[in-house]
Formats: sequence, structure tokens, C-alpha cells
Amino acid sequence: MPTTLPASWHQAFSLRPNLYQDFRQFYGLFWDRKLLDPVLMELLRLRIAQLHGCQAELGVRYQAALDAGLRESQLQELSCWHSSTAWQPLQRHCLNLAERFVMNPQRIRDEDTEPLRRQLGDAGLMSLLYLLAALDGFCRFQCLLGVQTSSSWTSPRTVATPSATRQSLY
Amino acid sequence: MNHGPRVRIPEPAPGADSISGSALALQPELLQSFMRLYGTLWSRGVLDHTSKEIARLRNARTVQCSYCKSVRFDQARKEGLSEERVSMIDHHYADSELDEREKLVIRYADAFLGNPGGDHQALIEAMETQFSQEQRVELTAALALFMGFSKIAVSVGGMPDSLPVTVVPTPGQEAS
Repeated sequence: MPTTLPASWHQAFSLRPNLYQDFRQFYGLFWDRKLLDPVLMELLRLRIAQLHGCQAELGVRYQAALDAGLRESQLQELSCWHSSTAWQPLQRHCLNLAERFVMNPQRIRDEDTEPLRRQLGDAGLMSLLYLLAALDGFCRFQCLLGVQTSSSWTSPRTVATPSATRQSLY
Repeated sequence: MNHGPRVRIPEPAPGADSISGSALALQPELLQSFMRLYGTLWSRGVLDHTSKEIARLRNARTVQCSYCKSVRFDQARKEGLSEERVSMIDHHYADSELDEREKLVIRYADAFLGNPGGDHQALIEAMETQFSQEQRVELTAALALFMGFSKIAVSVGGMPDSLPVTVVPTPGQEAS
């Protein structure tokens, strides 16, 4: 029995086709329903990938985020967002929550969530938490299975926006 | 420390279970899709229930989700994961009476929850002797879902510090 997993996480996840199909449908909803701003979702995806050192995620850009105005030059400021002036208050609050969520959610405080609840509403904050869960979980999935691609941070490729109706993730 | 929930919990529908009556229901379409995914994971999978339940409970303990720690899924219980064996999923699991495969699941869960990008070559090689590729993918996806669910619950807050142990139907059983 071969034990080495396929190189791409999509190929690996396809080893469990019904699970992969249901995951795509769940993940695609964020973009299909525009549950959050596409640029914000991309920032969160890439920041969480940075925290995990997940090269596969760092190596792609979702088309929807580029269409919504995300520029590559902005992303140079992502890892140092704490001290950068490149980000809007909502983006900063979300990046802060994302880091706490990934590192230790027990350290999330009311002051981390309340500005987001006021701006996004209760349902919007829940969308954000669902998204963070998916991004954190499936970055770890890729890292531990070792199915990352060789995409490099310096030459990201643009991929189609995830959708519940697509046959592959993107 | 216990505190109130950070979002408004929607009024539960009559007969709603603890999940569909929670803050997760503020996004009903996401919740429905998540529960479909979760049901597939549990009841239309290739990995035994005991392995997934051990991973779920190890995650619950690490993330400190009191709700997740209190729940037991009935299929794993039927497979023999008694409360006595559940109590072994703690700091001292390595010296417990859990079998080597079960201990391997805990090591794998700890790697996932700790530093998934670290050097786990020995662990992966050990996993390859006990689990097929399909099972490893399923276990890793399971950990992603368990962790995500627990972290959402912790982030929302409002849970008691502890809850009584409750055996509930395994997700997805009704459609299997």
C-alpha cells in the first residue's frame, strides 16, 4: 500500500471525496454569499497562513480579493500589521482577533470582539468566527499532512474564487 | 473564567438541540452546511469512531471547551470507549492502558494543535503503519473541524466552567 500522500492538498483531500465535497460547499459559502468583504477574507487567510508558515496558502491569491482592490504591495505590510498604517480599523480588529483565535482563543477578551460586533453585527461576527475556524483548521491540515505545493511567496498565482458549486476548491 | 456570551444568542426554535439553539445559528446556512460536513465526517467515513472521538476529546481538553469536553458520541461508546478509558486521555496518556493506536491518535492530535508545521517525521512514519492514507486524511480533517468548533465556542464565551457528561447521538446517523 503506498503511504506517501499526493503533493497537492486538493489531491490529498480527494482521497475522502464525500468529505471534500461537503468541505467545498461549506467553504465556498463565504464567497458565494459575500459574508464578509473579499479583501478582508484574503487578509485573514494570508495572515493565518503566515502564522502557520503554510506556503501553499501563501502562494495563491483569490481572484475575488484582487477584483475588490487588494494590491500586492499592501500585503508586504501584512506580517507587521501591528505597526503599519496600511490597514483600516476594521481590518486591524479582525487581524487581532485572528491571531488570538489561532494562538489561544482563551486569551480573547471582550475588547477584542466588541468593536467587531458593533461594526459587523452579531451575525457578521459569527461569520468571521466560522471563517477563522476554517482557515486555521485547514492551514494546519495542509501543514501536518505535508501536502503543500512548491508555490513561493515571491510569485503568488491567482486562483478562482472558492464556490460551493465548483468541483475543486479553486 | 465564565462570562456572558459575546453575541446575542438567537431564540431557539421549539425542540432545538444545543447546537441549533446556540450562537452558531446566527448564520443558519453556514451552520447547516457545517453540520452536513460534520455528519459526513462521523457517519460516512473510513475511520473508526473511537479514533475520532479520542481526537475530539483531546482537542476539547487542549482548547478548554467545556461543552466539547462534556459530550460523548454514542457510536464510540458502543465501540468500547468507556468513561474510564476517556479519563486516560490526559497528561499521563502515554503510561495509560490505552492501546498503541489510540496513543498514536493523541500524539497526532497534539502535533496538529501544537505545531503542525514542525518536524513530525517519526510520528508520520508511525501513523503510516497504523492508518491508511484515506484514514489519515479523515483524521486530519476531523481535527480541523473539532478544533474550529471548539475555538468558536470558546471565542463566543458564555459557557459554564464545567458541564455534566452527556451521551448524544453521533452526528449524521440519521442519514447514514
